[in-house]
Amino acid sequence: MNFFIQGIGAVTSLGPTALETWRSLCRGEQAPRRRITDGLADRQYFSCPVPGKFVGEAARQPRLRRSGTLSLLGAVAGFDAVSDAGLKPGSGLGDKIAIVFAICSGGVNYTRRFYHEIVTQGANRASPLLFPETVYNAAASHLAALLDVDERCYTLVGDSSVGLSALHFALELLLTRPELDRCLVVGTEEADWLLADAFASWRMATNKDQFEVYGRTCGTIFGEAAAAVLIGRTGPLEISGSSPGRPFFSVRDSESVADELFGNFSAEGSPDIIVSSANGTFADVVECKVFSQRYPSLPVYAPKPAVGEPLGAGALLQVALAGLALRFQQLPGTLCAGRKLPSVNRETRFCAATKALITCVGFNQQVNAVKLRLI
Amino acid sequence: MQGVKKGHRVLVTGVGVVSPLGPDLSSNLRSLLEGRDAVRLVEAFDVTKTRCRTAAQIPDEWMEGALPRRRSSDRSHRGARMAAMALREACEAAKGPTPELIVVGTTSGGMSFGETYYRRLLAAKSRKGLARLVGNYTPQKSIHDALEANRLRIPAQIVANACSSGTDAIGHGFELVRHGLRTCVVCGGYDPLCELVFVGFDSLQAATPEKIRPFDKHRSGMVLGEGAAFLILESERYAAQRGATALAEIVGYGISTDTYHLTQPNPSGIGPKLAMQRALESGGLAAGAIDYVNAHGTATVFNDATEGAAISELCGRVPVSSTKSMMGHALGAAGAIEAAFSVLAICQQFLPANINFNEPDPAWEFEIIGNVSRAARVNYALSNSIGFGGTNATLVLKRV
Repeated sequence: MNFFIQGIGAVTSLGPTALETWRSLCRGEQAPRRRITDGLADRQYFSCPVPGKFVGEAARQPRLRRSGTLSLLGAVAGFDAVSDAGLKPGSGLGDKIAIVFAICSGGVNYTRRFYHEIVTQGANRASPLLFPETVYNAAASHLAALLDVDERCYTLVGDSSVGLSALHFALELLLTRPELDRCLVVGTEEADWLLADAFASWRMATNKDQFEVYGRTCGTIFGEAAAAVLIGRTGPLEISGSSPGRPFFSVRDSESVADELFGNFSAEGSPDIIVSSANGTFADVVECKVFSQRYPSLPVYAPKPAVGEPLGAGALLQVALAGLALRFQQLPGTLCAGRKLPSVNRETRFCAATKALITCVGFNQQVNAVKLRLI
Repeated sequence: MQGVKKGHRVLVTGVGVVSPLGPDLSSNLRSLLEGRDAVRLVEAFDVTKTRCRTAAQIPDEWMEGALPRRRSSDRSHRGARMAAMALREACEAAKGPTPELIVVGTTSGGMSFGETYYRRLLAAKSRKGLARLVGNYTPQKSIHDALEANRLRIPAQIVANACSSGTDAIGHGFELVRHGLRTCVVCGGYDPLCELVFVGFDSLQAATPEKIRPFDKHRSGMVLGEGAAFLILESERYAAQRGATALAEIVGYGISTDTYHLTQPNPSGIGPKLAMQRALESGGLAAGAIDYVNAHGTATVFNDATEGAAISELCGRVPVSSTKSMMGHALGAAGAIEAAFSVLAICQQFLPANINFNEPDPAWEFEIIGNVSRAARVNYALSNSIGFGGTNATLVLKRV
């Protein structure tokens, strides 16, 4: 049984839609960095925020009036994917569609505000308006309400590879529920000082305003984003391979796990391009070794130096961009690329590609990959 | 992916539970039969400013030795210990299964490490040890620790559908095995108690300063619990090939999303009713076949009104209990623990109690089992979960 991507959606710091983000990336643009500080400590970081005007229309929905950034971004990307498929929300779409969300850190801003009130003002003063939005599935619930979905709605949590696990989960739903026509898979994440500080203390984030990929690994910069794909039973872009992912129990272990998993995807023919998860951390080292050995001549595109690391949205954004690369036969250039991976694609160029491999080495012990094929 | 083959029987061949009622399945069974109340004053964090001050907690002593003795284990979250214990018991009970996938429900994972991180930032203490907290607070990390401790290197799908997470995790695993996509899956849930969630429910006035009284006319709210439970699900053919013994069969799963409000269910009961109807349809059963309903039964005014209306309308005079009356609400683990309790009810042919019950609410037709468990014929049990965001999920289990 085959499944296809029918619609692609996204909202990033570079654009309010997947197409506008794509055009910016092809022009070699980098998302503006915003300095983020906090009264908790004098450390400062940079992030790639989504401008408020990109989510303005979603924020006017009564259901989203009090919701956090995470939910707003998820709704915008979800609607973008539905629209890209030529469908209209509210036209009976909700009856035969499932929703799967991918989340990593969740509503960090609301969570920290709620916990800050507990710690500083006392548990009896914490606002009941904040708590519901701290729940992982809040964003999925809002989108289900907006699309009138009354049955299958799931939220998966994990590291930056969770989007690929969610995509596989969606395929499992379509396989086991023949009455479903489609599944909308959405990844979303917000950037917050606390997130950057936490990952910096874990040596995964940098306090600089740039990071290099496939070069010196000095940590990443977080970006806000959401990405979505609408999966159905027909269409021009086939999901020709997917996996629930593989765990690794140490960084040392990750290379062999990645090598085995990524290698499985070349069994039915080598891909033409790779859209990778490189983000200035150990993930680059792992990918670099595997790509150099298995796919030494394939062009590799890493979007995160341009848009930041959007964690729960990251892997689905890679899928969205890989889909657009196949659709438009064009591969953007990787910004801030180091010298360790010679095959990294440095300039936007035409590419006659029909197969794309999307890889992700997650921060927290999960490796995954997906393969797309243009029919 | 391979094409779908329909109709495999899905057997439960192993169950593992750690809950405030006991560190393993047999001690949980004893507590259920006795109608033990595990709710106590909270000791893990300050509760002097909250309305509710009680929860059902797992003593840390029960979890000593849950993870292998090495430095990395000391850094793990207690959620990893719960999960590792329950997973080990389930695998041992199933006598050497080789699961291909683990599907786990949770709501907050290792959130208490996030709380500690934040408190240390506020106190401007040194950054030593912070990396340990960040690396171990994520929901999937505890599961990876539990897998590693049990020498299982399999993919993990972590479902966070609020309080329906555990039931949805089992439901998804059930569908994968039933449709022939997998032959053996471990499913379950885990959720350790944490301050943020405790205060969250208190701030919403969903938690009670009194005893938790599900389905009582004078119910006043929930208390929280914690725990972990895992079920080994296998296709009948695979279980037979390796000589595994079936404890029960899962025959139905239903899910619904009630889009009424983020935190309040539609008062009509349509959300849980649809989930139950779909689970029954999935099992090819009429509602009259159900011998026992393990209700979500949080004892909040809204939840019990909604769920009560749905059960009443669909199942009539069926015996119902909420085992949360004994061990509180374990959130993402609740559905998994309650599925395990439903397996016990089927295997041991008894109806678990609904303790602290004084006066029935005249709104419902069904029978509340009351303060004492009792022997009964249980061929089919139905287990409900209802969560924030309008998530509703139901499993139907059958005697083998």
